[in-house]
Amino acid sequence: MSFKVKREPVRSSWYLPGILVGLGFTFKKMLQNLFNQKKMVTLNYPEEKYQYGPRFKGNHVLTVKKDGSLRCTACMLCATNCPADCIRITASEHEDPSVEKFPISYEIDILRCVFCGFCEEACPVDAIRMGPEWQTAALNGSEFTYDIRHLAYRPQLKGGVPSVLDDQERHSAGI
Amino acid sequence: MPKCTINGKEIEVPQGTTVIEAFKMLGDDICHYCWHPGLSVAGVCRLCMVHIEGMPKLQIACNTEVRDGMVVTNQTDDVKDTVKWGLDFHLINHPLDCPICDQAGECGLQDQYMKFGKYDPEMAEPKVKKHKVVDLGPTVVLDSERCILCSRCVRFTEEVTETNELGIFNRGDRAEIGTVQGRPLDNNYSLNTVDICPVGALTSKDFRFRQRVWYLKDSESICPGCSTGCNVKVYFNEEGLWRVKPRYNAEVNGHWMCDEGRNTYKYVNAAHRLKKVKAGQSGDWSQEEVFPETMKLGEKFRAAAEKNPESIAVLVTGQYTNEEFKNFFEFVADELKVKNIFHWINNPEKFDDFDGLLLRGDKNPNTYGLKEEMKSRGGFKSLEDLQGKMSQFEWVLVLGPENQSQFPDLKEKVDLLSQAKSVIWLSACETPELDALRAPTHQIPMKTYIEKEGSFTNFKGLVQEFKRGTTVIEDALTLQEVVALLRGHELDYRNRPQPIGGTKKNHFTNVRGQL
Repeated sequence: MSFKVKREPVRSSWYLPGILVGLGFTFKKMLQNLFNQKKMVTLNYPEEKYQYGPRFKGNHVLTVKKDGSLRCTACMLCATNCPADCIRITASEHEDPSVEKFPISYEIDILRCVFCGFCEEACPVDAIRMGPEWQTAALNGSEFTYDIRHLAYRPQLKGGVPSVLDDQERHSAGI
Repeated sequence: MPKCTINGKEIEVPQGTTVIEAFKMLGDDICHYCWHPGLSVAGVCRLCMVHIEGMPKLQIACNTEVRDGMVVTNQTDDVKDTVKWGLDFHLINHPLDCPICDQAGECGLQDQYMKFGKYDPEMAEPKVKKHKVVDLGPTVVLDSERCILCSRCVRFTEEVTETNELGIFNRGDRAEIGTVQGRPLDNNYSLNTVDICPVGALTSKDFRFRQRVWYLKDSESICPGCSTGCNVKVYFNEEGLWRVKPRYNAEVNGHWMCDEGRNTYKYVNAAHRLKKVKAGQSGDWSQEEVFPETMKLGEKFRAAAEKNPESIAVLVTGQYTNEEFKNFFEFVADELKVKNIFHWINNPEKFDDFDGLLLRGDKNPNTYGLKEEMKSRGGFKSLEDLQGKMSQFEWVLVLGPENQSQFPDLKEKVDLLSQAKSVIWLSACETPELDALRAPTHQIPMKTYIEKEGSFTNFKGLVQEFKRGTTVIEDALTLQEVVALLRGHELDYRNRPQPIGGTKKNHFTNVRGQL
């Protein structure tokens, strides 16, 4: 079976005016960007980075309590809810009976993560959030598995993001 | 035999049956905490409320006997309302810390709340703070805040073990479960209190925080710990086995099992297991592939047996299934005409011990079946015959123990076997004692009770079948497979059961770093 392809007839063979109009636009923008850099639309990427809004679902952050320890109670609801199966937690017993359970390892495989935010939604204690960071470049494959040190205490977080829920406050309020 | 009507369905029950038991017979839902079929009636939770026609008030089903012509229902609005607000009273001081509670996922309180509760709490007062993480004994941890004082555990130590370690202290909303100073909850049945606890107040130290229960699958099996043959459920996931719990069987174990039997999951996990055939002597082992190596062994073994059946000795433990024994003795005793068959009893002096409840001194699940199988073949030779004669034997085939912790005389046997010319040792687990074995030895990896199907015959001759639950070591063999390979038959190893989650979902995480 064969089909006949109908081609549009060439409207004009005068292509030169079109090119000139295009080049004119390019040069106009180039001069604009040279003399008025603030109005430039693009970013000089590695040097300048775009700041997304606070609700942007980027790389995960594990929040910390006031004393700087992890807020996470290792309930594994995030891991259960995760559709990509990228969270791995190992729980252990804490010395302090009011804390009881805490994670000794918390790993997120960021290359499997689909950034759906279900972990954030499942968390009953505001222990995991999705932050505004979005760059996931790394030199080595193994660096894509984020551990507790990266998730809670990476340099960008400046000592950890405090959680809104604190155990001591909760206990003193009698909840 | 009184007849009664429950939720519109007529049922005839034996004299003395309570209403809640009649509900359970019918399979109708009824909310309850303190009532347990294996314990006495306490009637403290007040949640099994039913409406009985002719009675002015609602009654508790657990403490009301069925009378002829009784019309009972728990579907009326006032019953549902009572249960709902009864639940609110239970939750007044409950911390609702389900995320860190080990019981979450199998908790009665969670289930009942989803079924009957679903309200906003009316209580404005702060919760009463009680003791967290109380060490009750070597196996159990108590969290008093989560306790709803159903008194099941207290009744268990009173009625079943009769050790009376637990009690309820203080009054009112400050009441707590506890032990008396200097008398911890330390008996061989203590972990049953964890099973019957309807909330997460009592947790097992062994299982605490290690897995969430919804990640686990379960499989029904028979405990291989002793000759009682308790019916158990084994919980596992792709990482291995995690715990063993009892399963109801009125004829064998009732609702309970001992703490010793709960440890039988540990040696099944891959870290303790033999994965390949280990060949060598005096602790100098080389790893060989299972199928070709066993077949090679089989050729030599059969040749030696055909030449002189007297040159072969077989040492048997009662740790294998009836089907395996039948198959094995058909090969060894009937086909190869081997007469030197010895029974290895691990603890002859304690063999007939019984602790009065479940645990028996005979630590093999199938001694009865083994003896039955050997009866028609003239029984065993006594072990004393073996003492000085070991060097006469060309081959000694040992059906080694699966649960080695129950074989304290392992070292003596190894010393004895050192005099033999060559040894085939079948065992599920790594045996460090075998490093002292000076004779040339082949250790063949075997399947454990959870990886094969078959039946055990318990001490009183009750044959109990069980199914395969999971596979931990793919290459390990059952005794039937060993017999087939020793006979020189090829095995179709493509259709063998695979371990669950053989390739982990996150497998590439581990690989990626090396790319």
